[in-house]
Formats: sequence, structure tokens, C-alpha cells
Amino acid sequence: MARLSPTGSTRLFSPEGLRTARLMMYLLLCVVLMAMDQRGQYVPRIRSALESLLEPVYHLVGLPSRIAGTLSQYSRAYGEVTAQNQALSDALLRQSAEVQQLQALQQENRRLRALLDATVGRDFEFRFAEMVQVNLDPFSHQVIIDRGSRDGVFAGQAVLDGTGVMGQVDDVHPHMSEVLLISDPDHALPVQLARTGLRTVAYGTGHTAWLLLPNVPLQADVRTGDLLVTSGLGDRFPPGFPVAVVESINRDSGETFAELRARPLAALDRGREVLLVVPRRASEANGAAAPTGEPPEQEPEEGR
Amino acid sequence: MSPRRERLSTLLLALAVAVLLTLLPLPTALEPLRPYWVGLVLLYWALEVHEMVSLGMAFGVGLLLDILTGSLMGMNALSLVVLIYLVQRFRARLRFFPPWQQALAVLGLLVNDRIIRLWIASLVGEPLPAWHYWVPPLVGMALWPWLFLLLDRIRAGRRQRRS
Repeated sequence: MARLSPTGSTRLFSPEGLRTARLMMYLLLCVVLMAMDQRGQYVPRIRSALESLLEPVYHLVGLPSRIAGTLSQYSRAYGEVTAQNQALSDALLRQSAEVQQLQALQQENRRLRALLDATVGRDFEFRFAEMVQVNLDPFSHQVIIDRGSRDGVFAGQAVLDGTGVMGQVDDVHPHMSEVLLISDPDHALPVQLARTGLRTVAYGTGHTAWLLLPNVPLQADVRTGDLLVTSGLGDRFPPGFPVAVVESINRDSGETFAELRARPLAALDRGREVLLVVPRRASEANGAAAPTGEPPEQEPEEGR
Repeated sequence: MSPRRERLSTLLLALAVAVLLTLLPLPTALEPLRPYWVGLVLLYWALEVHEMVSLGMAFGVGLLLDILTGSLMGMNALSLVVLIYLVQRFRARLRFFPPWQQALAVLGLLVNDRIIRLWIASLVGEPLPAWHYWVPPLVGMALWPWLFLLLDRIRAGRRQRRS
């Protein structure tokens, strides 16, 4: 080994020793950065600013898939387009019938609530956004969407796709924002069983294929196939949106709680279009604090 | 136009392409096959033009990659610093390996890199990834000789044009 040279006093300053010292310095720096990114506030803030600067890179990278999408739409055969059009208009007809029914129900609900003198249920609007097709670190559990603070997106906003809850906006840039998926191991989502109304919390596991519900009472009435919807507790996700379907129930009598596994309904790893939930009363309730990017730490139950 | 500046521009160009290839979306079936482009390019330069690739540079490139891919800040930086350190340490030996042996060494370096990432991810609370987590090093090894020839070509071409 070079270290054992007779000139022991200068070994630290030999090229080899110097390189090792520099390696150690950089490694230490990396570890400190990672710890600060995970737990602190400053590094995520600096990082967010840098990401805003690097926005054009994402748009550049997303360009080929956008062009490919447009081209494939143009080149699709006429018959295929007609068939698709037919299917879509059928679906539209069916759904508008359902919506009419829903409107009647909604009015009835409002009347009943007024009779009960209860607080009026919240109204929501949806805004359309598209995912920027960029490959991110699979460990980061993020997707990027093409709407940012210029379009009124705010941190903590709920994000859905056509089938279920996807996640919440984590970091907002001028023209795009990052969405933290419900599969992130740090994410917790207040849910309730649609059938019985039992409230619990669904934790991300790091896998996009399942969520974990570790604290359901042992005697609770749960069956596989039960639908989980957002409970609206925590004030971040509006109540009543489908989240996942219970897939397995582990009732170990030695444990205090039953452990449920549920399969998310939203296409967490392969979607394209998403919906942003905009509270109607955004101007009073959330609007003032929103653009500054209220840190999610305030709500320890949700977000990072 | 000094030859040194010309070569730096070649390196930066290759790195930019590597970063874009990292971010470029692929069909789901091909996704697990994506090699560690930035690592491979830096590895080549550290072997062939070692005076241009320092640990500091690996650190900087890693941080840029961290920001762009949304990974934990410092994860790619750590990975690249370790990779370049190992290349610098064993450069004399690696350079005179025959190509197939060099490719094997590259496989070793890339697997080592995956282990480091796995270790960091498990500290953060991530579950063990699926088996195809280990495919990219193999792809990297298969690509190495071709990438080596390609980058050699590009460097030679750019040198000739400028002089």
C-alpha cells in the first residue's frame, strides 16, 4: 500500500492521500445534503428555485412525446377514429343522463341540508392538466404537470385522474408543478370505507400497486373489494373521491389492529391527463395563503 | 482556439445529450432497460481524458441530475463521485484491459453504484425494488464497447476539424 511509505509524515499530501481526502469531503457534503433535503427546509427551497430555472429542459424533453402523440392522432385510420368517436359520444350520452340524475340528487341534498341547518357541502371545480412526459427517479414518486402558479395551481392542491385520487401538488413553478403521488412512503391520506363509513388513514408504501392501512380495528366490518374514498378530514382532499379498493385483510389476533392492503384506482405510473381540484371558495379559504406555497409540514398527517 | 477548450465543449455536449437521454420518456416495456447514461459518459472521459474530470465536476453534474430527476438532493452526486473516484484510483489498470475485460469492470462499477443507491433508498424508507432494478448495469456493460468507439470517433473528429 502506498500509505506505508517510509516518508510517513507526508503521506496525507501524496496525490493518493489527497484524492482520498477530497473523496471524503464530497461524500460528507452529499450525506449532509441528502439529510437536509429529507428533513430540513432550506435545501428543498433552493432546489425548488433551481427547478424553476430548469423548467425549459422539461419542456424540451417532453416535446418528442407530444409530437409523437399528435402525429399518431393524425395518422390514425379514419375507421378507427369514427369508432372511437362513436364510443365517446355514447359514453357522453350515458354520463350526461347520470349527471342529470346527480343534479336532482344534489338539489335534494341541498334542501335537506338546509332543513337540517347543516353547513353547506363544499363545491368544487376541476381544471384539466396534462403530465409532462419526463422520466424521473422512480424513488421520488413524483410526476410533473404542465400547469403552474400562473394557472392558479397552489401547493397542497388535490390531483385526480379519471378513476381516482393521484396525489397532491408538492412544489409549484411558474409553468409547471410537481405532484407527490399517494404511493410515496411519506404520504398519508385520510380515507373512509364507502360502505360503512369507517374512517382511517391510507399510507403510501413506495409501490404504485398498493397502499397500506395499518390501523383498522380488528372487529371492523371490512371485506375485500370494498371501496375506499377520501374522507375530507385534513382539509386537503375533498371528501367522497374514490381512492382504492381493499385487496387483502390481515387479521392477526396477536396485533392490535387489522392490516389492510388496497390497490389504488388511479393510474399512478402511466396516466397522461389529470384533473386539479379547485375549491369554489378558493378566494376566501385557500387563495390568500396558496401562492406563497404554504409548507406541507403544517399538516403532519398529510404530505411530507 | 485552444485544443483544451474544444475538448471541454465536446464533454459538455456529450453530458447534455446524456442528461436528455436520462429524462426522455420511454415506452413502459423499455423503461427498465435505460442505462446510466451520465455515469457512462463521465466514466469514458475519466478514463481517456482524466485531467478533465475531477471529483468536483462529478459532484456538480450529479447535483444537476438530482435536481432534474427529482431524486434526493445529493444521491446522484454521491453516486458519481464514488464512480469517478474508483475510476481514477484504478485508471492505469482499467485503461489497459482488453475491451471485454473493461466491459466487465464497467459492470462491476455500475452494480456497485446500484448497491449504493439501494442503500440510500432503504435509509429513506423505500421498499426493495423489483428484480429489473438490476438490469441497467447489464445494459451499460453491453453498450460500453460501442459507446467507447462512438465517443472516440466524436472526439477525434472534433479535434481534426478544429486544428
